[in-house]
Amino acid sequence: MRNRVREQRTQLGMPQAELAAALGVSRQTIISIENGRYLPSLPLAFRIARFFDLTVDKMFDPDEEEAGA
Amino acid sequence: MISHIRPRLRKPLARAIAGTALVGAWALGSPHWWLAIVEVTVLSMAVAWYVWAGQDNDEGALLGSRADERQKLVGQKARALAGVVAMAAAYTGLAISLAVKPADAWPFAVILAVTGFGYLFGLSTYGSGEPDPADDADTGYQTRFPVSR
Repeated sequence: MRNRVREQRTQLGMPQAELAAALGVSRQTIISIENGRYLPSLPLAFRIARFFDLTVDKMFDPDEEEAGA
Repeated sequence: MISHIRPRLRKPLARAIAGTALVGAWALGSPHWWLAIVEVTVLSMAVAWYVWAGQDNDEGALLGSRADERQKLVGQKARALAGVVAMAAAYTGLAISLAVKPADAWPFAVILAVTGFGYLFGLSTYGSGEPDPADDADTGYQTRFPVSR
């Protein structure tokens, strides 16, 4: 599953540590989500989407990986 | 009580207490002067864990009781792996002792039984137990809508 966390974060010019603090998770977790190594829980996915003022389905796209695979 | 202790200190302190209790039990059974060295080692390790708990990585977060959801999952997977390894070691020990000296086999059997019981207890605690009835089984109404595509 692809996500737009890195794209949205860099658009805001925000460091990973700052985003992590805002979402109440560790910097390592932000790195894992951005790299696609960790799928966040539903509550965290909603927190991420709301933080960037997007919907969850705009933030996380399950079809994108299937198209690229 | 535990909430009054700083998160970073909780696990190192618990391990220091557990280690000291073990050294105390050992000293009661067979008092030796060198147990003081063992106790100093236990306390030094607790200090090292406290230092480690302050680091900005997954291990530090777990040890410092500030893990987020991913780090907790990592901790759960590590504990599950430790349980599997313990069961495999107990099974191997049991098989070897039964072949070599059956009288010494019982501790391995106890560990194997306890870990097996722990697994079943985990299934009953975290599993659903009895399957829940479907929504439409007790109401008589079909609650699942037809798939549109």
